[in-house]
Amino acid sequence: MTAASPPPTAARRQDWLAVLARADTAQLERAAAALQPWPAYRRLRAPQAGMVMLRARIGGSGAPFNCGEATVVRCALQFDDGRLGVGYALGRDRRKAELIALLDALLQEPARSQALLAQVIAPLRAGQMAARTAAARATAASRVEFFTLVRGET
Amino acid sequence: MSAAIEPGLADPVGQAQQIFRAALHALAHPGRRTALPCAACVGGLAGGIAGLLLALADETTPVWWQPPLAAALADWLRFHTGAPRAEDPQQAAFAVVARPQALPALARFAAGTPAAPEFSTTLLIAVPSLSGGAELEWHGPGIAGALRVEVDGLAPSFWADWQANHAAFPQGVDALLVAGEALVGLPRTTRVRRLEAI
Repeated sequence: MTAASPPPTAARRQDWLAVLARADTAQLERAAAALQPWPAYRRLRAPQAGMVMLRARIGGSGAPFNCGEATVVRCALQFDDGRLGVGYALGRDRRKAELIALLDALLQEPARSQALLAQVIAPLRAGQMAARTAAARATAASRVEFFTLVRGET
Repeated sequence: MSAAIEPGLADPVGQAQQIFRAALHALAHPGRRTALPCAACVGGLAGGIAGLLLALADETTPVWWQPPLAAALADWLRFHTGAPRAEDPQQAAFAVVARPQALPALARFAAGTPAAPEFSTTLLIAVPSLSGGAELEWHGPGIAGALRVEVDGLAPSFWADWQANHAAFPQGVDALLVAGEALVGLPRTTRVRRLEAI
């Protein structure tokens, strides 16, 4: 990392990688196109699809177990100045993994990091939150409340 | 920002399978040269050895690096395969030796246990040449009768060590000797006799 500004903490990087992984390819293409011209990069790991074993916990907080396998695409690339971008996403879309890796590397640029986060990540995150809220609302609207009026014992 | 990491195999699946097949063939036919599809040279490490590591190492195989090899190589391998670095040769599944003259005694590496002799170290040794050097006669499984082999670059004490290694069967270490694009396998079952010129 350069001495100029502190590197992004792991938590921040995980956060923006999660937002990027949930976005769809068209949104990522637009976001990346807006940041052109890109620095020259070389692929450390060409986009490849593979399987990961998903781990889950019983009841959300109990013993861990192997839930099942999921197809994941991943890519890693490196700019000439040493910034390493990695991209992981569910599914088989190799272009998506490459775009996530590219955006991850671009977002690590110390000087423009804050501006890029506001320009790229914030809109994606807002869209995802809105979609999640709308889905939760729609689900809640279908909820049925049961009231016991009379017990049929006598 | 990390230091520049060298790329791995250009065709991960295809090349890894070819390299594995070459290693398998080399160990099954000790002393015979096998063509080794090479990865690109990585920071001073011969392409043949780099390819073997990328094909064979994973997160369950700690790798011991002979001292002058830089930490950058351990990072490179860890990025591509997840293989951790072994500080102690006894813990290593693979040992990378770029200067065979300075190879530690074979007893310092893991030789496996009587119940699990396969948990031993496999030495990946970069030798300068597979001709010249000491004249040797190899015997054992995979060799019909005897085979004359020449290996240049190994210290004379290596072959004395090897005799002890061979005698410890089923435990012991195995070695893969890499010279450029040629690979020679030396499994622990091979008995080596030095032919002294009289």
